[in-house]
This record gives sequence, C-alpha cells and structure tokens, in this order.
Amino acid sequence: MKFLIAVGSKEFSEPTLRVGLQVAKAFKAAVTIVYAGPKISEFSTSQVRFTQERMEEWEFDRPGVEVLEWAFNFLAENDYITPTSIEAGFPKNTLVQTGGNRCEVYLQGTICKDVNLILRNGDIIAELRDEVRRGGYDVTIIGGSQKRRMAHDLIQYINSSIFVVNKYDQHQDYNLLLPVDDSTHTPKAVQYGARVAQAFDVKVNLITVSKTDSFGEGYTKASQLASKMMRRAGIAHEHRFETGDPVDVIKKTAGDNHIVVMGASTKNPLFKFFTGSKPLKVMEDCLCPILIVK
Amino acid sequence: MLGFSQRSLANLLFWVTQKKWFLISLLVGTALFLLPTPNGLTLEGYRIIIIVITALMMIITEPIPLPAIAIYILVMEVFLGIGSPEEISHSFMNDAVFFIMGSLMLAVAIVQQGWDKRIALGIIRLTGNKTNNIVFGFTAISAILSSFIGEHTVAALMLPIAMTLIKYTSKDSEKVTGLSAVLLFAIAYGALIGSIGTPSGGGRNVIMMAYLKDHGLSISYLGWMMKVYPLVLILIPIVSWILQKSIVPEYLRLDTGVRKLVVQVSKLPELTGRNTIAVFIFFLVFLGWVFLSESLGLGTIALSGVLLYLIAGFVKWEDLSRNTHWGVIILFGATISLGANIKNTGAALWLANQVINVFGSIMDIFPFATDTIIVIMTTILANVLSSSATVAVLGPITLNLGSDALHLGMVTAIASAFGFFTAVAAPACTIVYSSGLVNAKDFLKAGWKVGVVSIIIVILYANTFWSIFF
Repeated sequence: MKFLIAVGSKEFSEPTLRVGLQVAKAFKAAVTIVYAGPKISEFSTSQVRFTQERMEEWEFDRPGVEVLEWAFNFLAENDYITPTSIEAGFPKNTLVQTGGNRCEVYLQGTICKDVNLILRNGDIIAELRDEVRRGGYDVTIIGGSQKRRMAHDLIQYINSSIFVVNKYDQHQDYNLLLPVDDSTHTPKAVQYGARVAQAFDVKVNLITVSKTDSFGEGYTKASQLASKMMRRAGIAHEHRFETGDPVDVIKKTAGDNHIVVMGASTKNPLFKFFTGSKPLKVMEDCLCPILIVK
Repeated sequence: MLGFSQRSLANLLFWVTQKKWFLISLLVGTALFLLPTPNGLTLEGYRIIIIVITALMMIITEPIPLPAIAIYILVMEVFLGIGSPEEISHSFMNDAVFFIMGSLMLAVAIVQQGWDKRIALGIIRLTGNKTNNIVFGFTAISAILSSFIGEHTVAALMLPIAMTLIKYTSKDSEKVTGLSAVLLFAIAYGALIGSIGTPSGGGRNVIMMAYLKDHGLSISYLGWMMKVYPLVLILIPIVSWILQKSIVPEYLRLDTGVRKLVVQVSKLPELTGRNTIAVFIFFLVFLGWVFLSESLGLGTIALSGVLLYLIAGFVKWEDLSRNTHWGVIILFGATISLGANIKNTGAALWLANQVINVFGSIMDIFPFATDTIIVIMTTILANVLSSSATVAVLGPITLNLGSDALHLGMVTAIASAFGFFTAVAAPACTIVYSSGLVNAKDFLKAGWKVGVVSIIIVILYANTFWSIFF
C-alpha cells in the first residue's frame, strides 16, 4: 500500500505527520510526505525560479525545504528511516527537480523500503490530485482546514481514501467509531477500521443508523459482518443500532474523542456536488480525525 | 449518466471548478455579444471591448496558461472581424515587445555576472550596521538600479543580500518577522519607484512611448529622465521613512548579519577582466538607450546587448532560454495588439468619452481631477494585472482624457508602477514573496500607506514641477 501525507508547516503539521506515520506503520505502507507551497503567478514563475537558483548559490534553501528537513528529522527521531539515511543527514543536495514545480528526494525506510519527500508549488487540491494520480496512492492524509470547501474538494476530486487529521490531541484517549450500513464501501471501511484500531490499540464502536425504526436486511448483514471481522481480529468492540438522521447521530456520537472511519458515498458526483453526501457533512462538522474510505 | 463513469464525471467536475473563471469569462463575453452595440461605438469597437473584458478576467484569475490567453486574443480578434489575419499578426509585435524580451534576457546575463555580492559590500560600506540606515540603503540602491536594469533584475540581485542579513541575525524566522518585512519591502518598493525613472525601467514605459509616438508625440530617454527622475529622488526617502514607521524591526543593529555578509563577500575573487567587460557591455547598452533609442528603439538596443553577451560567451543561450518566459512575452504582444485595436476601432475614444461623461463636471471644477482618476484607475488595475498589460490596455483610453496627451500618458505610466498592495502586482513583489519570509497580507498592511502617499505625491508633482519647468 502507498500513503501520501501532506504537510503545511512545522507548527501545525506535527499531529498529521505523527498520526499518518502511525497508521502507515499499521498498514506497512510506503510513505511519501509532500509539502505544497503557495501558487506563484505565471507572470513571474521564470523570474522566481531564477532568483531561487541564485539563492542556492548563496547557500539558502528554497521555501519548503525547511519543512521537508523537519519531516526528515521527525522520521529519524521515530526510526522510520534506516540508520544509514539518518547518519547521512537530510540530503538536500539530492532534491531532484522532477517537473516544473515538483522536487523529490528518496530515503531508505525501515517499515517499508521507500520513503519519499516531495516539494511542490501550486493550488493544494490540484497538486495533491496530481501527486495521487502520479503515485497511485491508496490513502491521502492531511490536516484539518478552516476552509469548508477544502473537505468537499478532497473527497470529490482525489482518487484515494482521505484521512483528515482534524483536531488530534496525542494526550487524549480515542476510540474508533465505525458507521456501518449497506453501502458498497462499507466492507473496505471495516477492513481499514480494524487496521487503524490495531495501530492505535483502541476499542471500536460500530454504529448502524437508520432513519426509521426498522433496520433492513442489508444493514443487518453488514453489521453482522463487521462484528465478525472485529471478533476475528481480536479487537474489542461493541455494536449500537440508533434511529435518527445518520449525520447528526454520527457527529454526536463521535464528539471529540473518536477517530471516525466511514465509507465514501457512492452517489453520483454531480448530485454530491450540489447536495453533498453523508461522509462530507460529517467531515465538515466533526471535531475529530476522520478517514473516508474509497 | 449518459455513459459517463463516476470517475469521468468527477474529472469533469474538477475541470469545471479549475476553469470556472474561464467559463465565466466566456459567459460574460457571450452575454455582451448578444447585447446591442452601444450608441456611438462601431461594431468592431464594441467587439474589441468584449475581448478586452474577457481577456482581462482571464489574465487576473489565470484559469488557463498565459500563452493560451494570448492565443485566445489573437483568435478572437480575427474571428470577430477586428482585422485581417495579417493586420492582427502585425499588431502583436513592436519595439516594446522586443524591449520586454531583451530586458528579461539582460536580467539573466547581468545576474549571472555575480554583481550581487559587490553591491552588498557597497551598501554596507555606505550604511554601516544600523537597521534604519540599511533600510534606506536598500530602498535607494534598489530604486537607482531598477531605473536602468529592470525591477525583476534588482529583486533577484538584492534578495540574497537581504536574506543573509536576516538569517544570520536570527535563525528562527519567527523572531525576525519585522526585520524580514522591512528589508524585503525596501527592495520591492524601492525597485518599483525606481522603475519609473527612465524608459528602460520597465516594459510599461516603452509601451507608453510607443503610444505617444502614435499620437505624434515623442519623448527622448533623457527627456523622460529629466521629467521623472526628481520624483524618484523625492519618493526614495519618503518610502523608506514610511516603511520604517509602519514596520518595527526586532533589531536596531545588524552586527552579526553584516559581519557574515562581509565574510561571504570577502571570499570572492578579485575583479577580473571578464567582469569589467560585462559592466562595459551594459554601459554601452545604457549609452545606446540614451543617445540612439529614438532612431533604433529601446528594444533593438536591449537585444544588441544580449547579442554582445552571447558573442562574448558571458551567458549561454540555454540559460537565457530556460529563464525567459516566452509565454509571458507572447501575452505582452497580445495586450499590445489589444491596445492598438482599441485605438484603431475608435473604442479608446468612445471609452474616454464615457469617462468624461461620468466625471466631466468634477474634471471641470477640480484642477487635478483627471490625473486623480487616471492614477487611481491605473493603480487599481496594476495591482491585479501586470503593469505592462495595464498600460497596454488603459494607455489608449487615458491619452484621450484631455488635451495634453504627453502629460496624461506619463502619469499613466508612472501610476502603473504603484503595485504596492498585492504580492502578484509586480515581479519584484512576487520575488520577495517567494522567499517565504513575508505573507500575502503583509503587502496590503505595508503597502497601503506607501500607495496612498505615492498617489498624492505623483498628482502634486505632475501638476507643479512639470507645469513650472516643462
């Protein structure tokens, strides 16, 4: 499996990187850390590039390199890269230009063979989308954003599962909340949920929500399968059946002490664009990390 | 849905969100196209205004690559019958385009000569270690250099010098946010105010000279300098003072940074014959601009300098080609074509009359009203658009706003340099922004005072100094 972790700054991206690497470790996934800097007006791109080359002659790094260096140190401190890589230090001289606005550096990982650090410039969604298409990533991990539109665009346009590390506090105890219904993405969400629960060693709260008092055959079967999978994996879990609006119930149950793992909507993208979807509405308002599985 | 998979629908939606301003521009253009032609305006005049509006929307929002916008302008001018393919293709190229091409290439050739470290030493010798003096030195040197070698070249030369002072004063960038802002804005704003001083300070000046020539008016290189350089000298201390009052640096002396800078520069080899020849070639270009530009054109002389640098082997063609954005040059050609056709179709005169109809009474009562309207209009557009594109599009209109076209044209060219408010207004601003040490909001915070004061000064200057001496 391949995970892409997007970081923005040393100040705000530490939880994203910590959680991202912890989950990646559970999946034994190859990890790429990407920093996307601001978009430069096309009027000045060649002059900015030229100036940055001059800056390198004065032994100054281009913006973003210090974020990758911080990510390298984080990887080194947590033993995600080999001792040889750590001893060699951050290899900024091997930052290879692999496109107009993309640079890449390769490291030897311990959990998996490859760990890449990437520097990009441009619109964050377009850059992440391009990176996911280029690298074929299974999960994209990103920090929470104040912009509501960002959540929508991530789910709608990025062709991988999305893990938004929203308001994560490493000192808080979390449980895992796994909404289960008859949608096609639920089985994969259950698999991912089990792995995440093992990574964080937490209890799983399975929840099935129906708008009416009756729970159909699809819901019942899905919940039985989810319970079975948790039992086989040896994960402590409990299953609740709730009645009400699924979005409200999930948000209320999640509070700020759950990691939510749920399947992506299978609705037509055009309908989702105009009317939204359950995962999107949960992601927009919830106060905790959420993984949307595609 | 209609045979589309969910993925292809999502791709289509992504394309729509990325290109929304392109689609909105087309919708606006189509709506205007369907409306009747306004009274007093020719059909071609109305159509060129539609192309201008849609093209400006695209240039500001950049939903498609800049060269694509240039192609859009070319195609639409032919399709909408503004001119024949031959006429349109001719309108894309003139001396101003050669100048923009030449100045971008000269920038690469000059910066590669390593003058930056010698400039650094010069500034420090003049200013010493006090932050206030260094800010003044940065503003003054950036302004003086940018009068001759273009603001983007100055920003590229000066940024590493400022970075050395900042990074060696404190390794933690959070502890030197004020110092970073004041030094970087001194470079950007100094370069902007200096670029008005001579015709070679920016492509916009050359574009305006071409428009004035079309009006049967001409101004020499020295004539321009005599009219505008005193304004540069007035603005240097004022801008420096405003910056120092608006942004408080964390350190009043930069002893460590200056020491490190001196050490860096002392590692340099002594001046070689090659360095001297490189300076001499640029001096020849400058002499050519001063004495021969009226007959040979500023662009041809700039390109002659590039040719000399290439022949002497001081710069490689690969470096020139890689660091010159050809798409931007094509776009400048396209905006110049728009300007020419705004004039040729009578749209410029019609638009000028509309401005006079709206503001005519104010223009009659208040003596500086026309200049004020031009300066404000130009400054606003220059902050969201490129300054050269602003002059290319607005120039033909502002020249028709009064009887003294030379006065109006020069006021327009000067105001187009006041890109103090946004990070995208001018290459010098974008270059300092790209350092990552200032954020986009800082431009408005520091720039509004500099902008307002510059606007007032240019209006007073144009209506007093020029009236008395010219």
